[in-house]
Amino acid sequence: MAGQTYEFDLMQMSAIREMANIGLGHATTALANVTGKSFNMDIPNVETVCLEEVPMMMGDPSDVCVGISMPIEGDVEGYTAFLFPWKSAQELWGMLLGYSPESPEDVDDLPASAMLEVGNILSASFMNALSDMTGLKIHATPPMVSIDLAYTIAASIVAEAELSDAVALAIETRLFGMENQQTTGYFLCVPTLEGLNKLFAALGIQGAA
Amino acid sequence: MAAGQVLVGMAEIKVIKGTGQLTCLGLGSCIGLLAYDAESGVCGMAHIMLPEAFKDKPVDKPGKFADTGVPALLAEIEKAGGNIRRLTWVFTGGAQVFKYGAGTASKLDVGARNGEAVNAHLKKLGARILAQDIGGTSGRTMVANIETGEVRVRTVQGGEKTLCQLKRVRAEAA
Repeated sequence: MAGQTYEFDLMQMSAIREMANIGLGHATTALANVTGKSFNMDIPNVETVCLEEVPMMMGDPSDVCVGISMPIEGDVEGYTAFLFPWKSAQELWGMLLGYSPESPEDVDDLPASAMLEVGNILSASFMNALSDMTGLKIHATPPMVSIDLAYTIAASIVAEAELSDAVALAIETRLFGMENQQTTGYFLCVPTLEGLNKLFAALGIQGAA
Repeated sequence: MAAGQVLVGMAEIKVIKGTGQLTCLGLGSCIGLLAYDAESGVCGMAHIMLPEAFKDKPVDKPGKFADTGVPALLAEIEKAGGNIRRLTWVFTGGAQVFKYGAGTASKLDVGARNGEAVNAHLKKLGARILAQDIGGTSGRTMVANIETGEVRVRTVQGGEKTLCQLKRVRAEAA
């Protein structure tokens, strides 16, 4: 039901955490491969909340971010997204392009497509890892990029997710630590309840009601 | 937020009277819908997420949907002592903020549908729409200051501008 917070038991929560660990581990490695820099991964928080609460959880809601939205299709449906605060996005651009737009107004086609490529790499490795782990068909659809407030980006994803009956929500607030700089990112995953239960079933865990 | 500044979160409806300001932060595909009764000084704002309530599910927060949000906003304004026959309306939002990528021509296009739905419900009411700023690819923050009557809209790329002046309406109407 819309607006509802789902209760997951310990087993289900640890399965969500494990899937996030493995999926994001692969995504982080893929990002390290294209940028030539090493990234540390840390999952400080896995929470399930009701959809309207999500926009307040992606760091400072009034920070300018680069958001990459990646809808999931196949046996499991829903949305995943990465949010990079502006300074972190600039660091990523520096690694990928050798320069970075100074302000959001300076973002043109090249930096935008670099972020789309980051989205392709992250989502493909994330979904492949989940697929391998569960034997389910899970694939990414082409990513979309927005440069706006963290709140705006998260709210727009959540609204669409709710419309497509993404009733359940597992959210991971994510951090990418890097050697010297701090490249921080937030990860959002909004599967449908049906999709999440298919993942649970594939892992031999009882589904959520 | 400072005293008197009220943040209207997703799916919420907030009403203030005489003083203070109402803010809808970072409206992407959502709509910030404002209704103001100059005579009583009652001002209400709804942060609408989707065009219509789901037929098969109970509505937990009426402010979430355009079809339930408009009547719920009217009820809240009336409860606060406003006269719903004197209202002026302003709304912003309904953007498609994912500007880049192959999936941007989304079949869902929630923003555009939200804008159409709010427009249709206001038309049905015969509402007086003072200003609207909808569509495009930029998220908007809408701030209504009840003391000055100023409604301002801020975007990341376009900065801040005054959308309209609520109090001028009162002077013209008088």
